[in-house]
Amino acid sequence: MAEKLIGTDIAPPDLVAKITGRARYAEDFRADGMAFAKLLLSPMPHARVRRIDAERALSMPGVLGILTADDVPQRDAPAEQCLTNEPVYEGEPILAVAAVDEATAAEAVERIRVDLEPLPFVLDPLESLRPGGADAHVQGNVIVDREWKSLKWTAEEFASAEAAGRLPMGEPTSEWSHGDVDAAFAAADLIVEETIVHQSVTHHPMEPRSNMAFWQNGKLHIFASTQSTARTRAALASALELDLEDIVFVAEYCGGGFGSKISGSTVMQIPALLSRKIGRPVMHRVTRYEENYFGRARPGFQGWVKMGFRADGRMTALDLYLVEEGGAYGSGDFGTAGAVAHLTYTPENVRVRAVSVFTNTPPKAAQRGPGGAQIISMLEPIVDKGARQLGVDRLAIRSLNAPGSDVRFGPRLMGLTSVHAREALELGARTFGWDEKRMLSGRRNGTKVTGVGIGLSPYTAGSRGYDGLMVVRPDGKLHVHQGIGNLGTHSIADTARPAAELLGLSWDQVEIHWGDTSLGVPRSSNQAGSQTTHAHTRANHAAAEDAKRKIQEVAARTLGGAPGDYVLDGGRVFRRGSRGSGMSFADVARRAIELGGHFDGHELPDDIHAETVTAASKVAGQGLVGVAKDNYGGDGAGVYSWVVGFAVVELDTETGVVEVVDYTGATDCGTVIHPRSLGAQVLGGSIQGMGMAMTQRWVFDPKWGVPFAKRLYTARPPGMLDVPLNAQWAAVGIPDPTTPVGAKGIGEPPVGAGAAAITCAVADALGGRCLCRTPLTPDIILTELEGLRKPYSPTATHIG
Amino acid sequence: MIDEVDVNGLPTRSVSRRTFIKGVIAAGATASTAGTLFRASGGGLFAATALQGTAERLLTLNVNGQQRRVDVLPNETLAMTLRYKLGLTGTKLGCDRAECGACTVLVDGVNHYGCSILTHAVRGRSVTTVEGLQDPETGALSPVQQAVLEGGGFQCAFCAPGFLMSMTALVTSTPSFTRDEAASALSGNLCRCGDYNKILDCAMRAGELARSV
Amino acid sequence: MATIRDMMPAFELFQPATVEDAVALLAEHGREAWALAGGLDSMDWFKDRIKRPRVVIDLGGIPDLTGIQERGEGLDIGAMTSLSAVAADERVRSRFQLLADAASQVATPQIRNQGTLGGNVSQDTRCWYYRSGWPCYRAGGNTCYASAPQAMNREHCILGASRCVAVNPSDTAPALVALDATMDVRNRRGTRTVAAEDYFVGPAIDITRMTALKPGDLLTSIRVPADWAGARFYFEKVRDRGSWDFALVTVAAAFRTAGGRIDQARVVVNGVAAYPVRLHDVERLVTGAPASEETAQAAGDLAVQGARPLKYNGYKLALMRNLVRRAVRSAA
Repeated sequence: MAEKLIGTDIAPPDLVAKITGRARYAEDFRADGMAFAKLLLSPMPHARVRRIDAERALSMPGVLGILTADDVPQRDAPAEQCLTNEPVYEGEPILAVAAVDEATAAEAVERIRVDLEPLPFVLDPLESLRPGGADAHVQGNVIVDREWKSLKWTAEEFASAEAAGRLPMGEPTSEWSHGDVDAAFAAADLIVEETIVHQSVTHHPMEPRSNMAFWQNGKLHIFASTQSTARTRAALASALELDLEDIVFVAEYCGGGFGSKISGSTVMQIPALLSRKIGRPVMHRVTRYEENYFGRARPGFQGWVKMGFRADGRMTALDLYLVEEGGAYGSGDFGTAGAVAHLTYTPENVRVRAVSVFTNTPPKAAQRGPGGAQIISMLEPIVDKGARQLGVDRLAIRSLNAPGSDVRFGPRLMGLTSVHAREALELGARTFGWDEKRMLSGRRNGTKVTGVGIGLSPYTAGSRGYDGLMVVRPDGKLHVHQGIGNLGTHSIADTARPAAELLGLSWDQVEIHWGDTSLGVPRSSNQAGSQTTHAHTRANHAAAEDAKRKIQEVAARTLGGAPGDYVLDGGRVFRRGSRGSGMSFADVARRAIELGGHFDGHELPDDIHAETVTAASKVAGQGLVGVAKDNYGGDGAGVYSWVVGFAVVELDTETGVVEVVDYTGATDCGTVIHPRSLGAQVLGGSIQGMGMAMTQRWVFDPKWGVPFAKRLYTARPPGMLDVPLNAQWAAVGIPDPTTPVGAKGIGEPPVGAGAAAITCAVADALGGRCLCRTPLTPDIILTELEGLRKPYSPTATHIG
Repeated sequence: MIDEVDVNGLPTRSVSRRTFIKGVIAAGATASTAGTLFRASGGGLFAATALQGTAERLLTLNVNGQQRRVDVLPNETLAMTLRYKLGLTGTKLGCDRAECGACTVLVDGVNHYGCSILTHAVRGRSVTTVEGLQDPETGALSPVQQAVLEGGGFQCAFCAPGFLMSMTALVTSTPSFTRDEAASALSGNLCRCGDYNKILDCAMRAGELARSV
Repeated sequence: MATIRDMMPAFELFQPATVEDAVALLAEHGREAWALAGGLDSMDWFKDRIKRPRVVIDLGGIPDLTGIQERGEGLDIGAMTSLSAVAADERVRSRFQLLADAASQVATPQIRNQGTLGGNVSQDTRCWYYRSGWPCYRAGGNTCYASAPQAMNREHCILGASRCVAVNPSDTAPALVALDATMDVRNRRGTRTVAAEDYFVGPAIDITRMTALKPGDLLTSIRVPADWAGARFYFEKVRDRGSWDFALVTVAAAFRTAGGRIDQARVVVNGVAAYPVRLHDVERLVTGAPASEETAQAAGDLAVQGARPLKYNGYKLALMRNLVRRAVRSAA
């Protein structure tokens, strides 16, 4: 019998390369004659380039060329160019210089004089919305119906809000509602209202987005760091107006993306264009300093929320207003934020209003649980405030408000494939020991007080309709071609397991091919929104079913009988009940090549994506080809996974320092494919959330419009001593009935869970006082504890 | 292995020539076939960025048990020498500022940030990188590598080489340690995937394996 | 105009093997020379391309600068002794745990393995305006960006401001002041001994330097006298992250007590001024007083008298007060 592959711990096939130093990330590739690029970054938050004088640089020995905004594909804002003549944030790349070595390139950049005309800038969305406030772009500060607009609220709207210490709420650019919130508030037994601030946080993946490129025989060879291999090549081809087949895209390993490397990076174009210009390979080593600027960040929110509760804790109304810091090129996290809030508490009456404002801060992008993580970390302690006032248990209030599988939520009242949030709450409570640990709440030990918190966090976890591609080769093995990237989730291997299981193979009979488009990789998801596990177990399952049918057909043609007489196991196909007869997969592969046609990939299904057609043509003739589109259906229902985090913190009342001493994460993400890897996702994502809530920060000087906290030691991603070191995890493990393997994604929901468990636990330690802002650093907490005058307004962000 | 060189061009007479080690000699040469600061390979013009009148100096470095001859500029860091001159790209650069630990290597068995130590400062000392952890004879994984393999450690793994080196320093210097002690010993390495719990599991297992060797 | 980072400008490197040679080189090259200890602070400056010394003198090859020697119950610690070695040394731990605690809380293991005691006490401030290369007073300009009305200054000073509001980032500095340590400073003219308390200078004394070291000077040894050997010590560093972080506020204290009464005291805080602040008034207050909560409260209140917070660092006043209270409580 073949071993069971789903639900077991199997080390990913690249692990040995990772621990011996052989794994090659983008900056590890070399090419003969490789030159180096250095960027000139804008020193101003908003400016126009009047003139560039590069003569002194270009005359330096060793300088090979310069690339300016005039040399790169032109885009109209809010689309982003890789180099610009109108920088809209400090640190935006203006030009690049290539030289024989980096030191020369750096010195050349220093010799370039750029004449910049300073333009008005704005960092804080609310300041841009104020009458007379600056717009981040010359075209405006918001985009409504694809048109730039300069949106200003009235002085009265600001004055009345500021007098009341709450968020000003003028005209939004987005609004949706269900039911009647005003009537529901009038009927509510309890109303809780807060102004909230969630900071913007940088992604800071460990690997900066370095890349290297050269041209050979008219083709661009590029070595980059990205989330999806297939989709990044497509994005680059579109940006550079190249045919897909004119790009050999190599991205074998990705040192973390977390959303910041969806479809690669805009700066990826620079070495490609510079290399074409100077006729030599170009390496651009992106520094951490640069990563801080153009490595993306999660947008922050300034918000206001009003919740109405029935006496038993049921949330009857939710009114949410979000002002999103859109950064230099815009962002739309408010959309998922509103939907996730609606989904988590299922109030019958809901209104979500939002405005996303462009600011002269570095570009924003999806960051692991975009919108959802922020809103959950902010709303959960406010739900606790309601529970406390109503005398309802905090676990119970979440169970009461959490949806079941029949939920409809969001602006279009979308349904979901499966929801087991309540089961996750129960499992988490049991694993954590909620009944005992909630008793620790408020316990004092010297100057320390204990707080306990729960955060329930859903997020998207799947998509459909992608293609799988695999070959049974004459070596008898199944070769699975993956268009998805290798960003550390182990999904290049784990999403292939269903294929192996379906074909009756043991894991050592499977080879994974990934990270190089010249190998032939099928169209993939863009690996955002935790799609990968769901989307690609489906796609690979579909391709494996195709392979299985073909294997049975080959056996029937060769050995007689009907295809349905044949079963597959252990790398052989044989008539049911006569294991000793039949054919090996090696023989099947050879026979498939003889038969040709659809057996060996020379004829392809007509519903697969053009990218997959190209990829399949590369493997045609190599063996028996399984290739298919995921036609399992289910469109219309969303796929969401859930994580609930439980935390115990100890807060030192004399220093404001918070220590997370205990944490459990429990998830509903359908079938568990790889337990150890799932646990790493649950806890790792939770830890990212803790960093977001506690330690990470970005700080901007409002007068000069520039960021500080741009080093790791000032941006403060959490280290080993900032996180719980005996954390536990658990999975409900109920298969999603709408997908063949039953597995949903997991990457994103833990971030909100980890963050919210902390914001709730800190509020609990403070006796129920919700500070309603992040990060919860010692200064912020101590200011509260000591009753000091707050040096910041309730809506202030980016302070420090 | 110390390259003691002449004090050719030394601007002061008051310095004792005998005891003086000047890592980088001043010389008349303005061109060199050697890789300058991070030129990968091949021809091209000599970088004009070095001080006029200076040139790089051949050093012998002991890396992973081998003597390696290499041209090193005065301002060159060990991580850059390893990555761009010795082909040892296992050592990663995550920040280049002694903040993330991806570049961690062992110098005489002690973990250091390779990005923030001058290559000239490790002459005569033995350098170990992630490529040097396997047994050179048998290719067997080291106890730390074995533990990580068994434990399915790391996600994106860009931090892995650095963590492996800090773990190696820990298990070779400390016969037994608690989970908290391991956390402290590894606290100079960042993992943005947040895989700290699993990394610590691996570190504890590495300690067991190292003790059983 | 263009700011470009992360590529060290070229320099000439010297690796002397003796203190004499190092001092001669420093004298010869004057303001163009840079003494490189562990190099962690230095390389930051170099990689930022803000400090561009023509000559770098690597002190790592001078055996005489490394190691810990006993002098009676006191210890002479070579300036190039690594922080790890200081933290692990049995004599330091048994006699001056305060210093071991301070050294073991610097940054990270890797930095402690490479960073030196001399470098740690001589490092530059981390004011993010100054470290970004802005032309402030400390950089030779004529303004302070960090004290501007809207400036970001949660990590800046509450005491001793004089045009500049930067703080001293060293963890070991307050411990050494509390231990009445002295610094041996060599230059071509000879050796002078500077009390730790005088080694660290505020902007009122010299706005461009953090220490009493002048061009040509080399810190060779840190001498910890026997006076406080085996005393009761208290060290606490409050920071945002558990590793790789500078202190928001640190307290380092030493006490001799008898029968519940404090006979002698040293109380020093850092992270609140450009130099570690020895709280003489607090020491006088607690000397002879019972190590009681009442004394602790009074000490904390007295400690922050005269403190003047900036916009975002008012919490430091409370934090400093609370840490001084804790230190005094620990003497009970």
